[in-house]
Formats: sequence, C-alpha cells, structure tokens
Amino acid sequence: MIVSEQLVSNLFYGALLGSVYGVATMGLSLIFGVLRIVNVGHGAFIMLGAFTAFWMFTLYSVIPILSIPIALIFGLALGFIIFFSTIKRLIDAPELSTLLATFAIGIFIEEVAKFVWGSDYVGFSWDIGTLYLGPVTVPYTKLLAFLCSAIIAGLLYVWFTKTKLGTAIRAVVEDREGAMVCGINVGRIYSVSFAIGIGLTVLSGVLVTLFVPVGINVYMGPDYTLKAFVIAVLGGLGSPWGAFVAGFLFGLFENGSYTLLGLIPGVEPFALTRFVAFVFLLIILLIKPTGLLGGE
Amino acid sequence: MRGKWNLLIVGLFVLSLLVTGCAQQEQKPEATPTPEKKAPEEKPEKKVETMYFGAPISLTGKYSKEGQMSLWGMQVAAKWINDVYGGLKVGDKVYKVEIKYYDDQSNKEVVQSMIERLAVQDGVKFILAPYSSGLTLAAAPIAEKYGVLMNSHGGASDYIFEQGYYYVVQTLSPASKYQTGFLDMIKKVDPNAKRVAMIYKDTEFSRAVFNAAREYAEANGFEVVFDKTYPKDVQDLSPILNELKAANPDIIIGGGHFADGQLLTQQLAELKINVKAISILVAPALPKYYDALGTKAEGICAPAQWEVGVTYGPEAAKKLGMDYFGPTQDEFLVLFKEISGSDEKPSYHAAEGAAAVLSYAYAIEKAQSLDPEKVREAMNDIEFMTLYGVWKIDPETGKQIGHEMVIIQWQGGTKKIIWPEAAANADPYYPIPTWEEKDQGKLAKH
Amino acid sequence: MNIRAYKPLIPMIAVYGVLITIALTVDGMWQPVAYFMFYIALGQAFNIFLGLTGYVDFGYVAFMGLGAYGMGLAIKNFGHLGLIALPIGIFLAVIMSMLLSLAVGAVALRLRGAYFAIATIGVNEGFRYLVEGVRLWGGTEGMILSGFMRKTYGREMTNFFSTFLSDVLVILIAFSAAVVTIAILNKKMGYALLALREDEDAAKVMGINVTKYKIMAFITSAGFAGLIGATAWTLKLTYIFPEDVFNISYTVEAIVIVMLGGAGTLLGPMFGGLIYGIMKYYLSVIFPGIQLLILAPILIAIVVVFPEGLIGYIRKKARDTRLSEYLR
Repeated sequence: MIVSEQLVSNLFYGALLGSVYGVATMGLSLIFGVLRIVNVGHGAFIMLGAFTAFWMFTLYSVIPILSIPIALIFGLALGFIIFFSTIKRLIDAPELSTLLATFAIGIFIEEVAKFVWGSDYVGFSWDIGTLYLGPVTVPYTKLLAFLCSAIIAGLLYVWFTKTKLGTAIRAVVEDREGAMVCGINVGRIYSVSFAIGIGLTVLSGVLVTLFVPVGINVYMGPDYTLKAFVIAVLGGLGSPWGAFVAGFLFGLFENGSYTLLGLIPGVEPFALTRFVAFVFLLIILLIKPTGLLGGE
Repeated sequence: MRGKWNLLIVGLFVLSLLVTGCAQQEQKPEATPTPEKKAPEEKPEKKVETMYFGAPISLTGKYSKEGQMSLWGMQVAAKWINDVYGGLKVGDKVYKVEIKYYDDQSNKEVVQSMIERLAVQDGVKFILAPYSSGLTLAAAPIAEKYGVLMNSHGGASDYIFEQGYYYVVQTLSPASKYQTGFLDMIKKVDPNAKRVAMIYKDTEFSRAVFNAAREYAEANGFEVVFDKTYPKDVQDLSPILNELKAANPDIIIGGGHFADGQLLTQQLAELKINVKAISILVAPALPKYYDALGTKAEGICAPAQWEVGVTYGPEAAKKLGMDYFGPTQDEFLVLFKEISGSDEKPSYHAAEGAAAVLSYAYAIEKAQSLDPEKVREAMNDIEFMTLYGVWKIDPETGKQIGHEMVIIQWQGGTKKIIWPEAAANADPYYPIPTWEEKDQGKLAKH
Repeated sequence: MNIRAYKPLIPMIAVYGVLITIALTVDGMWQPVAYFMFYIALGQAFNIFLGLTGYVDFGYVAFMGLGAYGMGLAIKNFGHLGLIALPIGIFLAVIMSMLLSLAVGAVALRLRGAYFAIATIGVNEGFRYLVEGVRLWGGTEGMILSGFMRKTYGREMTNFFSTFLSDVLVILIAFSAAVVTIAILNKKMGYALLALREDEDAAKVMGINVTKYKIMAFITSAGFAGLIGATAWTLKLTYIFPEDVFNISYTVEAIVIVMLGGAGTLLGPMFGGLIYGIMKYYLSVIFPGIQLLILAPILIAIVVVFPEGLIGYIRKKARDTRLSEYLR
C-alpha cells in the first residue's frame, strides 16, 4: 500500500521536475538543430538565470515569475553578443572548435560570475503555500514552475509553427542548403536562433529556482549540462519540443524508478535511478538512433 | 616493415637512455635540501627574516568557498604573528611569517605540482594541506619525498592518518566525530527520542561521517530506522524523503555539502516532514544558509569545528593548565574583517586555517628549530589552546585528538552554540518548531 | 617500409628530450613536467580515436576510470605477490578498458555525430552510478591504497612509484600512443579513416570496411586511456574515488588539447597538451584565483584564430616546403 502511494507521489514529483528539465534543454536543442553546435557551456547560462531570479528577488523583491521576461531579455542580449563576437567566426570551422569555444565561454561566464558574486551558496524563500492532494504534498511554487514550463513550451511551439521567422528557423533545421536556395537569410537565422536558444536557457534558470530556490552558486551549471545533453539526445537533437517531452520522461523515470529500486536490498536506490535513466537512454537510441522525435 | 620497427626501437632506446641516464640527477634535490635562499639578503633589519608557510588553496572549483575562507584565516594568523606577537623567535633570530599560496583549482593533478613547487622552488618547509581528504592524500607522497610537514586543516577523513604518513598532521577533528556530539546531546535532552533517520550525500566524506555515526548511535541505544544516500548532483530529493517520512523518525541527521544541505532543508519543509531535531552537515554552519532559507532554518543544528562565540580564550586555557597561543576571538574577528574586506563572519573553515598556522608557529618555537623533523617531534608533546580550541595530536598517526567539535543551532536568526555544555552559549531548543509553526513565524528561541 | 614517413617523430623526440632534460636538471620541475606529460598523453591517446575518426567520445574518461580500477584491483588482490602486481595491473587496466570499449563500440558506434558523443556520456555516467549504486569496488568510498602499498612495498618504494615511476610510465605511454598514431596514419587504416572522416557514407560505398576501422581505432584509444588511468591516477595518487575518475571534465580537457594542437595530426596533441598544461600551471602560479578568467579568453582567441589547431595551421602554411615532412 505504502509502496504504491509512494510511487504515485514520486511520479507526480517526477513530472514536475521533468517539465523543468524539458525547458532547461530546449535552448540546447534549438542551438544544435540550427547551428550544429553542441553548447558545452550550457549550464553556465542556467546559472545566470538562477542568479537573475535571486538578485531580482533579494534586491527588488521581484517575484520569480516576473523575472522570467527579464531573464529572457538578458539571455537574448547575451546570445547576440556571444554570437557576433565568437560563434559567427566558427560557423564553418570544424565541429571541435565550437566545442572548445563554448567550453571556454562557459568557464569564462562562471569565473566572471564568481568574481562578481563570490563563491557563496545562496537562495531565497518565496512561499505561497502548499497543496495537499492525497499522498502528495507540494508547494505551489513547484506547480507554478510546471505551469510556466508548459506555457513556455506551448508558446514556443506556436511561434515556431505560426510565425514567418519560426518557420524559417525550422526550414534551416530541416535543410540548410535548401533553405538558402529558398531565399532565407541563413546568417540572420543563425544569430536569431542562437540568441533565442541562450534566452530560453537563461530563462529556464529562473524556472529552476522556482523548483529549487536554494543552493544557487556559480558552479551549479555542469550538473544541468550533463542532464540537458542526455535529454536533448533522448528527444532528438534539434527538436525543442522533443526535448520537452524527453525531459518530462526523464523526470518520470528518475523519480518513478526510485520506489521500485528501493525494494532491492543492499543497494543505493537513488544512485541506481540515474543508472536506470541512462540505460533507458541507450535503449531508446538503439531502437531509434536519432532520438524520440528526431528526424533522419 | 623492418625499418619501422628499427625506428621504434631506436626511439624507445633513446628515450629510455634519457630517462635512466638522468635518473641519478633526479636524486639531487633530495640529497641537498634547498637552503634558505632568502636568508642572507635581509640581514640588516635586526635579524628579522621571512619564513614562508606554503598552501595550495582551492580558489576555483568545487571547494572555492572553503578555500577562500581558510586562506583568510591563515592570513589573519600570519598577521597576528607578525604584528601582535612580533614574529617567531627561533634562537637569536626573529622570523616573520608569510603565506605563500597557489590556486590548486580543487584538482588532484594540480595539487601535486603545487606541492613540489612550494617545497623546492619556494623552499617552504611547512605546508598547509589542500582542502578535502582526496587532495590531501594526493599531496602526501610528494610532501614526504621532500621531507616537508603537512598540516591538514580541511581533510577530515580518518583514513588519511591510517596510511602511515608520519609527516601529515591534523588540526581539525576527524570525520568520525562530526555527528556523534549531536547524538550525545539528544540522549541528554530527550532520552525517549530513539528513532534516528540518516539521509546523506554519497561521497567518501559523508560516508565516513555517517558510518561512524551509525556505529555510535547503535552503541548508545538509538535505533537507526532509515539509512539512505543520495547522489551528488541532485535537484529533487522527494522520492527519498517520501520514504523517510514513512519511517517516522524522531530525529534526522544528514547532509553532505553546501548545496545539497540547503536543498535537504528546503524539501523537508516542502514535504512537511516534522521531527524533533535535525542536524545537517556543513551547510547550516555558513551564514548564507539562513539568508537562503529564512525561518525554515530555525532550529536546524549542525556540527561545527568552531563558531563565533566559543569560549576558548586565555582564561579557559589557564583553567586547563595549558598555554594559550594566537589572537583572542575578538582580535581574530577584527583582523578577519580587515583582511577579508567584507562584513561576512568567518566560518569554521577560517578558524581551521588560522589554527593550522598557529600550531606550526607554536611548535616551531617549542622546537627552536626550522627543521621539519624536529618540529614534527615537538608536535608530539605539545598541548595548547588557540581560539579554535585545544590542539593535540596522536603522536603515532598525527590525528587530532585534542580538539572538540561544537553543535550549533539557528535560534532566532543567529547561530548559537548549544553543545558541548561547557562551550555552549545557549540551551538547545528542543523539540524544534514544526514547519507549519515556522511558516507562521515561530522562531526556535527561548 | 618507408622510413621517411616517420620523420615527424624527430621533432617529437626533440621536444620530449627537452622536457625530460628540464625535468631532471631544474629543481622542482619534475612534477610540473609530469603534469604537462599527463595532458600530452591524454591528448595523444584521445587523438587516436577523436582525431582519426572525427567521432567525439564524451565518455572517454570512463576508460581511464576503468584502467584506474584495474590497477587498483591488481594492487589490492595481488599486492602480496610483490612487484608482479604492477604488470598485472597494467594488463588488467588495458583489458578492462578495451572490453568496455568493445561493448560501447558495438552499441554506440552505430550512432553518428552528436548522438554518439552524448550516448557515450550516458555510458560514463551510467557506469559511475552503477559503481556507486551497487557499491561496486567500494562505491563512493573508493579504494585507498596508500597505506597498503606502503606496508607491502615499503615507504621508499611507494614514494618512488608515486613520484617517479608513474611519471616515467606516462611519458612512455604518450610516446607509444604517438608511435601508434603515426603507424596508423602511414598504413591503409590511416587512409581508410581519412576517407571515413571526410564522408562516412561515401567511404562505405567505396567498399571500405568502415565499422572495422572505427572499432579498431576506438579500442586502441581506449586501451591507452586505461593505461593512463592506471599510471597517472592509481599509481601516482594511490587512491581512487569514482567521482574523480569518472569526472567528465577530463574528457572535455582532452578535447581541448586535441583541438588546440590540431585533430588528426601527430604532433598536435603534444603541442596542445603542452600549451594547455603550461598555461594552466603558470597562470595558477602567477594569478591564483583568477587564472581561469584569463585562460578562457585565450582559448577562445586561439580557436578563432586557428580553427584547425596549431599544427593544422602551421601545416597549411608550410605546405610544399621541406618542413612539411616533419609535420604530421
């Protein structure tokens, strides 16, 4: 009885967590899809978003929800700056050089952040009550994080399918040369997509703080980078909503399997949930080498 | 085909010649330990010379917070020795102390090069070990090779001192002591609270802490009803906390490091898991913990190597019949503010760093020598007090046995020392308020 | 066989000679040189796979980790037999890392590009969590061998392992990896891999057994990684923590090194490792605390100016000159 109750609530938390994972990965996926660049410094941008939410809240008492547009604008600006200063020169360079560049950018951002903000572990408490629902006890902030994630994913979907720019971006993802032939200004698409990708990533940092408002520090990024990589591949690289779905599944898997693994004696179930999640990734890739929603 | 092999063999041969041929030269630095190079130049100023203590410090990477704190602590101690104490008197010479430090980036490969650089190029004889047990172990063989002493102010794990490194000594209390004080306190305050839940990060440090805690709990009549770990990069603890809730414990001991300690508190609050007392490793000992969690931090306890307000001072030392050496706590706080340039209160990492420097200084004066071997020998017999507490090592292993940890508790927004009773400046608040009560603003204050 | 094809080894031997001379004659330079050599070996070994096939293996560090465990297990279980434990450890390290690479290769090498790169992260992380989760080989508490080694081999001997022998072995590993690289480059396999790197599908159509060569490069590279783990970690540090030996940042550093010098070249990893190591070391000596702040822009600048790596760039400039014979 207790086991099934725990399973239900764990799956519930997993879904909430997964949605945040999803949004935290969409930017990575978008940048890869359009520019064929794996952003190794991905986590650093999430960290920036988390600090945005933290400082807006502590300095100006701006609630994290309202920090979302601020983080987006901040991220867009940063994205353009980075694109025109570095990435633009590397579009046609070998894949490896962009890996190195994004790695260095990630380090640079972390170290600048440390220089400015110090190496403290900070957090804030924004308490808006708790929902009790059967076996599930959940603070409204987490539900809000879920809701915002879903809305952002939805908005992005609409933007991609209904607007001209969004369609153009999709065209470039599908076929770079083809899009160029059709008269799409690919150079512009690159800069815009990169900026949007970074914007989304910084924004997701705010959502992360809605979910976990503590433990914010300049080196928090790499943990998210690794997960984002895996989720992006699971969903199919270059497919932002694939990333969202995959993040959702990943969260479910991570939390859901805990209850079952806990039944095995003599092991550490929490570490094994990660193991199971990665095995799940490999199995999916074996069945479908381009991820769940990836094209050919 | 043959030509290729010939070339390979020739190449390897040349290489091995280079390696073996020069192997003898390698012995050189060992045979003639680098003399004090700086000594002769500074003679005119009435024999005041500078002595360097070397330190690989983690200023970047995962230990950068602790690294910065301990560096400030060391610098405070050095400043006190030079300005207040007037330098170290060895024979007819007076030495000023300076901390020579490099950033080890919390990285095991870098540490080894740094130790060698300190020992050889900088001629440092006394090294303050890097932060964390792993890095200390990485540094130990190099330090031993050059015959320099290493004083651990951040490597807590007991096993470092079970490897037979004579030249490694410890200033802080070992990991096995971290959670035992808290259990003692519970036993005293509420003999009926028997059900202990342990939830901690899966790292060698917290395992060392909680393996010892488990043994100690069972030996003292506690019942460990829950004992699980979580991995290091965790964002959501709810699955494990759900399970913990079902175990219905009286007290929770857990944690690991900064980020996960904050997360653990936050999620205990979210899931409204109410127990009578909670003790979390490391995280609550920093002031930012309360800033981050607000009233949720009320009543949370943590083991600390030291805390502002401990009663160690010249009088306490006199009572125990031992020397007091180093700045008093007030002096320390003033100097700390000056050196760090911030209003942040020192954490115990700073006091650890300071105590390590002071213990070197004290032992050097006792030994009246700058020879690491003599100083190490002198360390066997000394027992003295600094602001950080008593300093005494086990002669055989170098493990710290004099120093005692304290338990702190957040009470009404300030950290109070509640255990051991002799050092306490407040009574334990027990049982702690429930999360619902804390939401309504109840503080864990008498 | 054409001996001229091995001319590029000459500048390499020269650089090694200079490095070793410095290490042995200048006081306090042994560990720093060992540190540079660690990076060179890392780059050289990784290059055999990454450079020659163009596949990025983010989980590369897993092979080093397994190698470290191989040596650790050997010392723990065969230490009482005396020094024979070291060759056993070397053997175990190679075998274990090669077996893993075979398994990974069979599964993941069917994937392309970024999918492969990230699937291998999954392998590395999954493996680490398995070690931690089922408490294999001590779980997170790892293996602490210092005390045991000091008891079995004596203090002097253990220090000799940690502060000299392991470093010499790393140098030998780096050099042998280089020799293997140039041997591959000069053989049919090198041309096949070149074709594969340019266009895998076309290579396949031309009748090149792409999978075979890919796996061969992968296993060779993994074996060297195992050796590095066994020597530069277990033997040198005398302890193993899974958190350290499965730390993905080593893969990233390996990529950086290969990239800095020029992927697929022989001399690239050496210069890449040297540049990276020297920069990291001296920056942290001169600017403790802000060295990464300085390092990052330098890296970005290098990658913008030399997108094909240092050696790639120089080779382009030196094309058709006599110098080009010595560059590979």
